[in-house]
Parts: sequence; C-alpha cells; structure tokens
Amino acid sequence: MLFRVDPTSTVPLGDQIAASVRRAVAEGAVAPGERLPAARVLAESLGVNVHTVLRGYQRLREEGLIELRRGRGAAITAGASPQRARLLERVREAVADARDLGMTEDELLALVRGELDA
Amino acid sequence: MTSKNLGRATLAALPFVLALLIDLTLYAAVEDRLPDRLAVHFDAGGTADGYTGSTAYLLYAVLALLALGALWAFIAVSGKLHGRAHRWFTGGGFGVAAFLGYLLVAVLFVNVDAPEGGPADGFPLRHIAVALGAAAVAGALGLLLTRLVPVPEDPRDGDSAVRERITLADGEVASWARGVGAWWAPIAVLVFLAAGVTVGREQSWFVGAPLLLLALVTATFCRPHVTVDRRGLTVSGLLPRPRVRVPLERMEGADSRPVNALAEFGGWGYRIRPERSGVITRSGEAIVISLRNGREFAVTVRDSATGAALLNTLLDRQRAGG
Repeated sequence: MLFRVDPTSTVPLGDQIAASVRRAVAEGAVAPGERLPAARVLAESLGVNVHTVLRGYQRLREEGLIELRRGRGAAITAGASPQRARLLERVREAVADARDLGMTEDELLALVRGELDA
Repeated sequence: MTSKNLGRATLAALPFVLALLIDLTLYAAVEDRLPDRLAVHFDAGGTADGYTGSTAYLLYAVLALLALGALWAFIAVSGKLHGRAHRWFTGGGFGVAAFLGYLLVAVLFVNVDAPEGGPADGFPLRHIAVALGAAAVAGALGLLLTRLVPVPEDPRDGDSAVRERITLADGEVASWARGVGAWWAPIAVLVFLAAGVTVGREQSWFVGAPLLLLALVTATFCRPHVTVDRRGLTVSGLLPRPRVRVPLERMEGADSRPVNALAEFGGWGYRIRPERSGVITRSGEAIVISLRNGREFAVTVRDSATGAALLNTLLDRQRAGG
C-alpha cells in the first residue's frame, strides 16, 4: 500500500495518511484482511510522529475501513469494498464543498435527510 | 517438444544411457563367472552383509539408471533452470551417472569368480574414491558438453529507460509497505522447535540450541513486511531487529518481474547466491533490485510493480541531489 504525505499541504498529516489507505481500497490495491504496517513502523518510514499515524488509523476505524485489534495491529475490514471507500471519499468532498459554501452542519444534514426521504 | 528442448533432454539423459550401456556390456562379459547370489551390500569395513540374485541386481541397476535419466531429462526441459544453473545441473548429471555406473560395475567385478559366501577380500573402499574421481571427471566433461547445446537464457529485463515511476510532488514523502505472508513459515518454526528440543534432550544442547535460535528468528519473520521509503528497501519481522535493509545508495534501479524460487535462488527463505540474494517466500512476482556492485536483491511480494516504481522515483530524486 502506498502512503504519501505532503508536509507543505494544509491538510493534516493524519488525514493524508487516512486518504492514502482510502485511495488504496478504492483502487482495489488492497483486499480485506490485508494488514497495515504497525503505526511505529509507518511513522519511522514517513518521518512523522507516531501519534499522527495513530490519528489517521483512528479516523479509518471510525469510517469502518480498518479494524484495530490489540496485539494484532490494523487490518482492512471484511466490509471495506472499493465502492465503500469511494462513497466515503464523496462524502468528504460534499462536506468540504458545504463548508466552502458557508453552510451550517444542520443545513447539510437537512439536505442529506431530504435525499434519504425522497 | 521443440528441437532445443530435445537437445537439452538428450544431453541430460545421455550420461545415464551411456552408463547403462557400459554396465550391460561389462555384465555380459563376466556373466558366466558370477555366482548365483551376488554380494551387494557391504559394511563400513567392506565385508559383505547383504546379497541378492544376479538377475534381480541387473534389473535394479537398469531401472535405477533409466529412472534417473528420465528425471534428469524431465527437469532439464521443464525445471525452468537458466544459464549457469542449467549447465551445472546437466554437468552434475554426468557426475551422478559416472558415480553410480562405476559402483554398479565395481560390485559386479568383486563378485567375479567369488564363492557363494561372498568375495574373499570384500569390497575394497578404494572403489568409493575411484567412483568420486570418475564423478568429478565426468561432471567436468558434462559441463564442457553443455556448451554444445543452447542453454535457456535468463528472462530478465533490466532496461532502466522503461522503468516505471510514480509522480510525486516536490517535498512529498512517500512510503510503500506490504505484508509478505508465508504460509509455510509457522510450520517451519514448529519443525525447528521440535527438532531443537528433541536433539537437545537426546543428543546435545550444543546442536539443539542453535536450532531453537533458528526457530526464534523464523518466528519473528512469520509475517514479514516489506517497506520502501527514503531510506531504501527494508524487510522486517515482528521486532525491529533482525531486519534486512538495502539502502538507496547501493541501488542502480528496481524492476517488478516473476522469479523462480528453486531455479534462481535454490530454495525458499533468506537466500544468498553467487549473483543474487533475496527474501523468497514463493515463486512469482517480486521486486528485483539491481545493485551497484552488479548483484541483484529480490523480495517476493504482491503489487511489486508499485514498490519498484516508488524505488525508481526515490532513486531519481536522490540522483537529482535530494
């Protein structure tokens, strides 16, 4: 799995790490069950703080793309399909666009609810 | 079968056929002077302690040489051996055929004119030495003969101009990591562990302890992972050490190509060969790094194309003065 971070970017490094994994899942480069490198190893490799990597991993766990198991490290979940990763990517874009437009959280949620009820 | 393959198979089987013909001729020459029961097994001192009928002996000899000849011909054609490995394999066949052919005849000749109880002077052990000498001479001859048939060449593409790259922005840091699952590694650990404990308890812990150490090292490498980053390529196990690292400074370029564990590396695990070394868990796709000293380092890993492309990108960046 290819991880890439750009320290000059305004996007937090942890989010960039999460985006790398999301992209790999979306492109089908990794399959469910695949293990991610240990946070310590990846942090050394990229030259970032280990907590930064853990923040990225935590984010992926909340999205249901990876599971973190004590002693066994991080692994891609069984439900992490390319479609799911692409959907997450689009949700992120929608949220970013809504912020750019100056929409509030409630306004965006109302839009999504309206779409769900339609 | 192509004519090239036919040539290779013929050359590989040739020594066994020759040994068979020579043995049969010599058997026919001394047949009348052989006892019904041949002494065919001898103890360390050369005294006969096993016997078999002369017809059965002939049958065994013919079958053994034919089977080995067929095996050698088969591997020469379908064993995927290239270049030097193929030459040594065929040459080795000449050595094996000479060794076996000589011993089979030597056993016949010590039985000539022997009484039923076995040859009086047993089996002089110098025959073993002579057989080894014959094997060395025949092997060398076989190596020379392999120059007559075209040897399959290594299918290697080392053209750095067409090596893949990954587009990286200035200042962007990239790292590629991938697990290398080896299904047989846990089995190997158990085997080493069992062997270490058994040998240690039954024989000596001087032999058992190194086996246990081997089990421990293999255990940490049960699920190794490969990392490609600004430092180079690293293969590491569960713990930070031991690990295998090839720094970028030692690399010329990287390719993704299929490797054959047996033909190119002579087996599985951490392999060191005259021209290449590598961490080989299976045959199949691998990152193959051309080193500056002319050697190669290979790691069998899936999605090797991405890993190799990142290495080439990082090498470009380093050459550009990064």
